[in-house]
Amino acid sequence: MARRTTGVLSSRDMLRTLYGDFMRTFSNVLFAVLLLLVWGLMTLVGVVVEQGKDPSVYFQSYAAPLARLILRLNFDNIYHAPYYVGIIGLILISLAACTFKRVIPARLPPLRPVNIGKIPLNATVSVRGTEASVRARVEEFFTKRGWQVRKREFGGTEWTFADKHNWARRGVLVAHVGFVIIAAGTTLYWARGFSGDTAIVAGQTVEIPQTHATIKLDRFRYVVEPIMTKTGMVYQPIDYVSHVTVVGKSGVPKNEIIRVNHPINIDGTLYYQASYGFALRLNVTHDGKSVESLSNRLYATGEAFQIPGTQRTVQFSQFVPTIDKQTGQPSSDPRVNDPGAVLSVFDGGRPAGAALVPMRTTVAIGGGWSVEPEGYRMVTGIQYRYDPGAVLVGIGAFVLLAGLVISFYLLPARLYVRVDPGSASGGEPSRWDVGLAATTVKGYDIFETQFGELVAEFQRWLDPSTGPKASIPAPEV
Amino acid sequence: MANYMPLDEVLMVIALASYVVGALALLGYFFTHEAWLKHLGIPLAIAGCAAQFAQLVARYELTHIWPLLNLYGSLSLFAAMSVLLFLIFAFRYKLWFAGGFVLALAALFLAYGVTWNEGVMPAVPSLQSYWAKIHVPLVVSSYSAFMLAFVLSALYLVKFYFERRLATPGGAATPAAVPGGAAVGIRNDTPHIAAAAAQGDGTAQWLNTLPSLAQMDVLIYRVVAVGLPLLTLGVITGAMWAHEAWGAYWQWDPKETAALVSWIVYAIYMHLHTRNQWRGLRSAWVSVIGFISIMFCYFGVNLWISGLHSYKM
Repeated sequence: MARRTTGVLSSRDMLRTLYGDFMRTFSNVLFAVLLLLVWGLMTLVGVVVEQGKDPSVYFQSYAAPLARLILRLNFDNIYHAPYYVGIIGLILISLAACTFKRVIPARLPPLRPVNIGKIPLNATVSVRGTEASVRARVEEFFTKRGWQVRKREFGGTEWTFADKHNWARRGVLVAHVGFVIIAAGTTLYWARGFSGDTAIVAGQTVEIPQTHATIKLDRFRYVVEPIMTKTGMVYQPIDYVSHVTVVGKSGVPKNEIIRVNHPINIDGTLYYQASYGFALRLNVTHDGKSVESLSNRLYATGEAFQIPGTQRTVQFSQFVPTIDKQTGQPSSDPRVNDPGAVLSVFDGGRPAGAALVPMRTTVAIGGGWSVEPEGYRMVTGIQYRYDPGAVLVGIGAFVLLAGLVISFYLLPARLYVRVDPGSASGGEPSRWDVGLAATTVKGYDIFETQFGELVAEFQRWLDPSTGPKASIPAPEV
Repeated sequence: MANYMPLDEVLMVIALASYVVGALALLGYFFTHEAWLKHLGIPLAIAGCAAQFAQLVARYELTHIWPLLNLYGSLSLFAAMSVLLFLIFAFRYKLWFAGGFVLALAALFLAYGVTWNEGVMPAVPSLQSYWAKIHVPLVVSSYSAFMLAFVLSALYLVKFYFERRLATPGGAATPAAVPGGAAVGIRNDTPHIAAAAAQGDGTAQWLNTLPSLAQMDVLIYRVVAVGLPLLTLGVITGAMWAHEAWGAYWQWDPKETAALVSWIVYAIYMHLHTRNQWRGLRSAWVSVIGFISIMFCYFGVNLWISGLHSYKM
């Protein structure tokens, strides 16, 4: 029994030691800095290495060993890699440990006497008067300037403690709470939110799978302006507009307009203008006869069809809004003037040829088959997102900002004041030395100039005819 | 329409000339301590800054296009804000010693910005938002604050390493030779520079006119404390804009993530600054690294890496 108890105790001790070590490590500021550094470096990798591309892109862009390393270490999708999410998790744990172990317990320092001469920011002001009157003037000086004054007696000596901006000691806590709120908002999106995108051809209706809302694209319009710049003609996009009819939970169709920067809200889900494109109608003929199964439909960019009875496929590779009449090549003008389509032919999966075919022009592809781009329709790309955590993230961001502002712009400081009989008074009973020392949460250097000004003002207030033994003026540069 | 370009260019030339001459004057003041050079440099800095803001206002009034939507406009604001922040800090904390360097950098960035002037371009759809009037000035102002912090950090490091060089055995001077001790600030943290200055060493004399290392560290902290909340607010407003334009407040776009990297670097700076032993040299290096990350975020991502923020024109 005794042996068992000892065993339980030692396990508890071990757990306690482990917990203590864990808290010490995770609440250490330098450990937090290390985590931030690792996070920063990982994020930098994500900036430099293009994200979410096909593996072949990395082999084209980098030497083969480097490309393999990128893919093996998940650098191609680093922001969703387990180690990236893990480091953010560790930062949040460190933030929580630091908050509970350092920030919350860091209340006002206890009112205790100090050795004034050993604090770097110190001064002594010699003043005439009775002890009571000097003490009263000291208190009045600080109270009038917004300092919170408290008095305590230690070993028969009365100390005056003056504090300013004490509440600002909570700035770091506020900033950390902001982070936690942001993390909560993000988690809420992961748990309950969704997003997706859909392409809608003019005249078609799509249903959003998560909400069952329907969107019909009535018309899509884009505006491009040709602008002559110093380096040549630039076709500047000005507007992308989707005219849609939406049906939400109410079942009532509504006409809406979706533009960039102007999403629409259907039952809490936002719908955004994301992209646009063209769908192509082809007339596929064999021995001069139209093949209905291949012709009576619209092809999206990149879509292909197989020529019946062969290994050949024809792909609609690209829509060209304007073909340059002089060169016969695609023009940089994105407006539809003389449109065409790039059609690519593959034989057994291998490229067999490609051609830019003007609209309503027939091109023979062998074996009695021919293809004619017959017409086109506009396609709009709509992105949708339901994010129940967005408000929380916004609130968290502003709480974080408030915490930063409080921490950076307010300086919690404490003054220690002690009144002693004058040491250099030659036995004069009415002379007193008022000793001052200052500490702040950000060290001494940051308060140096203010302390010098405060001491000078304090001296003038107590006795204009005497000067402080040590004031620290700011150097004139 | 034909008249605004000359006015725009005239104001830009005035600003550029003011910065160049002002930089020379304030650099001269730094090296010689001739008061008239300072009195020449300050009005030129103010004139250049005023000309730049006038140029931005004039461009907006005449074209009705927000002028900060391309590299030309944003670099113009960057230079103007850098000089404005410098002037505010200089009047408050007597930073005139840094003026020559700040103005020289402002002139450099402005001159580079002018090379990106393609004339009047309407905004692309994603930039047609009221957020452009909030997000861009906030972010660019934060860059300006970090530029000022960088200049101060660089000067801090020069002074620190010069002191260390003098302090090594065989150094030029010993503190015992300093007449009267000449301590500045809470502690005389560069006694060898003070001693060498007293012995007539030219470099030491320049560096001796700078505030103490401890005071410079506080100055860098104060400037970063302006930049970091601005960058935070810039990232927040950028996220709100992205939520409105692209459907997500965070898309891991290279520009967003590069800004996040800079934010992390300055967060590291602020965390290190809470520790006594990490203030000074180490935090000054972090500030320098922070500015390099800002430059990468500003130019590297805009010019070399394509993404949602690729608005070079």
